[in-house]
Amino acid sequence: METILFNNIWIIPLITVLACLPISATREKLLRGIHTASATLVLAIVCYLTYRVYALTGEPANELAAPLALRFFTDIPWLSMFNAHYIVGADGLNMLLLALTAFIVWAGVLVSYKIKGNQKVFFALIQLLATSVYGVYMSFDLVLFFVFYEMEALCMYLMIACYGSGKRDYGGKKLTLTLAFGSSMILATLFGLYFEGGVNSWSIMELSKVSLPMEFQMWAFPLMFMGFAVSSSLFPFHFWSPDGHSAAPTAVSMLAAGVMMKMGAYGCLRVAMFLMPEAAKIWLPYVVALLIFNVVLGPFIALRHKDLKYITAYSSISHLGLIFLGLAALTPVGLRGASLQMISHGFLTGLFFATIGMIYERTHTRDITQMGGIMRKMPFLGVGFVLAGFAGLGLPGFSGFIAESTIFIGAFQQDSTLTRVVTILAILSITTTAVYILQTANRMLHGPLPQKYESLTDGCFREKLVIIVLVACLLFIGICPGWIADMLDTSIAPIFEKISAATQPVIGGIGG
Amino acid sequence: MYSFFNMNFIIPDILLLLFPFIVIGSRLFCNYRSQLPWRIANFGFIAIFILLNFIPLASGEGRFFICNWKIDDFGVLMREVLIVSAILGIWLSKDYFEHGADGKPQMHQIAEFIGAIAFATFGGVTVVSACDLLTFFLGLEIATIPMYALTAWNKKDQLGSEAATKYILMGSVATAFELFGFSYLYGFAGSLHFGEIQQAIATGTSPLLWVAVLFLFCGIGFKLTLFPFYTWAPDVYEGAPTPVTAVLSVTSKATAIAFLVVLVFGPLAPVQEQIAPLIALLAGTTLFVGNLGALKQSRLRRFMAYSSIAQAGYIMVALLGPASTAKTAIVYYLFVYAVSNYLAFFIFGIIGHHREETFASLRGLSKQNPSLAVALAISMFSLAGIPPLAGFFGKFHLFFSGASTGHYALVAFAVLNNVLALYYYIQLIKSAWVDEPDGHLSPLRLTRRQRGVIIALSISVVALGFLPFLSNNVFAGFSF
Repeated sequence: METILFNNIWIIPLITVLACLPISATREKLLRGIHTASATLVLAIVCYLTYRVYALTGEPANELAAPLALRFFTDIPWLSMFNAHYIVGADGLNMLLLALTAFIVWAGVLVSYKIKGNQKVFFALIQLLATSVYGVYMSFDLVLFFVFYEMEALCMYLMIACYGSGKRDYGGKKLTLTLAFGSSMILATLFGLYFEGGVNSWSIMELSKVSLPMEFQMWAFPLMFMGFAVSSSLFPFHFWSPDGHSAAPTAVSMLAAGVMMKMGAYGCLRVAMFLMPEAAKIWLPYVVALLIFNVVLGPFIALRHKDLKYITAYSSISHLGLIFLGLAALTPVGLRGASLQMISHGFLTGLFFATIGMIYERTHTRDITQMGGIMRKMPFLGVGFVLAGFAGLGLPGFSGFIAESTIFIGAFQQDSTLTRVVTILAILSITTTAVYILQTANRMLHGPLPQKYESLTDGCFREKLVIIVLVACLLFIGICPGWIADMLDTSIAPIFEKISAATQPVIGGIGG
Repeated sequence: MYSFFNMNFIIPDILLLLFPFIVIGSRLFCNYRSQLPWRIANFGFIAIFILLNFIPLASGEGRFFICNWKIDDFGVLMREVLIVSAILGIWLSKDYFEHGADGKPQMHQIAEFIGAIAFATFGGVTVVSACDLLTFFLGLEIATIPMYALTAWNKKDQLGSEAATKYILMGSVATAFELFGFSYLYGFAGSLHFGEIQQAIATGTSPLLWVAVLFLFCGIGFKLTLFPFYTWAPDVYEGAPTPVTAVLSVTSKATAIAFLVVLVFGPLAPVQEQIAPLIALLAGTTLFVGNLGALKQSRLRRFMAYSSIAQAGYIMVALLGPASTAKTAIVYYLFVYAVSNYLAFFIFGIIGHHREETFASLRGLSKQNPSLAVALAISMFSLAGIPPLAGFFGKFHLFFSGASTGHYALVAFAVLNNVLALYYYIQLIKSAWVDEPDGHLSPLRLTRRQRGVIIALSISVVALGFLPFLSNNVFAGFSF
């Protein structure tokens, strides 16, 4: 029964799209109602299943899914032409990411009520995007995984270019093509995994049982890791994210920054590092060097920007750098911190983009130099923005604190000077984060109120609900992180086991 | 091997050869509005398509006429591809003739038109059924010559005449190349029969063979629009009437690729490994040049020409794999390619009736005809290979075949090229979805048949990819 519910997570959005096909585009109220109901239904299912995964922790999982402890495991032959199977399942990590996605999709639908243009198409695209993200987090077959992973390209361009603002065509193209570039790198290595693995299977579990030839791993790991890292905007592939996010409509920014950028980090952990641990040990120190840009320079760039979405985008770049710092640490604590940061940052950036979108809807500008004093007119949205900022700079009590400190502890445990230096720099750069967040909040929310903003109104019930729910999630994770850490540990354990079991062969010339 | 007297298997082929004469003959009885030839053609093609499905796929080979005509699984599936292409082609041509060159319906002319398409289809069937070089060559010519005539259909159109001249000249050169290749191959093996050529090659090679292979690849390079020989395609695609362009891009391409498949996995099978670098080179350069050429096009047909050049390059990648994988991949991709391409051409045809066929005429399509814009996006994303549309699974299969023999570098190059391709397909989608409508352009009006065809094709582009029953029942589980 629960397995059927689980499989419905990605099917319900699709059914919603089909159900809305015959409805005329002019009946916007009905369309919005259907989509809100569907998103709420998925959210409820996901919350229930997350609880079930938590409750089942420690109990023996399906043996077919070994070495991973997967619940709701389904394995159906799919495309026999190339042995692809439909394999889905959930352990702690991806169940929590599914929960995050469900919250963000729900919030995304709620904030898009007033979007201009053809709402029928817009909501259909949001649901398709949701399907793609759900699918990525559920699938354990590489073909299925890739199909869902690449599906986003179809929705993203149309949503940004048709419903966005500013340089929307440019931003949309930049985002879509860069992401497609990343996924083409992944696709090229997927074939190698299949043919070099020698088990004639695309299943992550099957492939994790064999050890791939070292020559193959040495070229495939960096290709695949960077392919995934493109969508997590790791330097030097970060350039799409500020332009893309600033051009996108609110809901798309929320989904892109909140959940899609985590797909890359998730793929790095679940596919690249899990299947090619030997090469991961050799290559990851070089990734740490790249992180200096993300973590240290990212906040400084955010400091110089005046556009709210650019600021948030660069803040996301720096926060996602921290995820990679946790991954590159290769310690259980580091991996747990990275996973926690994926979830925490999803809620945080979702809240950020939601409040920015609501404020933009009213002020019609995102330039912070032209705003001021809007706290007086919109106290609720202002407080929401400030809370998102506090969570972003890692204030204790919010989820950001617990995630970032775990990453720092984990990274410092690693016995490498480079990692430690980068960790110290990252800790120091929190100050910069604090500076730009407080400066932005100050300029925007306080000071004299421009004449033209006299008639602005505060958020309506729908918008307040979104802010309250997202803030509650942030606080919930921040105040009692224990149960989430328990859930994450069960899914990180097999990955770490595989990595620590990997002996590091000596290869002349590269790393070591 | 089936007995010489078991002729059941050849019935569809004989019907395919005979019924165009009925269609052409029916012109005697009809006027400029008459639907008769079109109806007969429709009935004939669909009946043959249904008959084909009765040929059991796991049958291996059947041979007829003193072993010059064989029907194997690949042949049956290629017949289905060619007939699907022909059916879609005549539906598209009905639009063209109902509308007429100067606004007057010319339905009586459709008879010859359909006859030519049917002969081209029969040529393709001959190519996949041939067992010796002579039949093979005849098939290729039967497939090409009707296309010359079709290209020059509209005799008042200067662009069309120019295109036809170009096509005939280039095509004749290609034919000459092929004949040279065949004669060298004959000189090498001392036989016209594929089996004997294969045996001769297996026992040893000589420089003569490489000359023959080079000539053959040059010749087919023209027809398949491979890299240095593709230059005629954009002009011909632009000059020919829309239905002809569509048939040209699917039937001709399918015939040419079938030619290569028959050759590479038939007589040349013993040296497949040696000619792999040549195939890889042609594939890589073709898809790169095609993609590069499409980037800056502003006219729809030229754009589709370059796009189909690139698709030819992608198909070539699959030729590097083992026989059964490669054949499945190519047949599957041709199905997908046919459906996606015809969807695009149906839309362009509708646009072409009312407006100029440029990117600019697509402006505001998403506001004026939202469903047409959705269909266009589906077709373009499918050609670009974005999942869950069929084009992705087709390309995945092609790359899978190429990678299965370890050509990772070529596959990686092809996959990266896909990003380039995505750029120009998005460029086209942008014109339809993002650009503001032009005041002069009134919304397009679709007839019920046009609407039905476009919906059916869109659904098949979406469903052909990920629905497993298609792939399991039709394509997998049998040996080629």
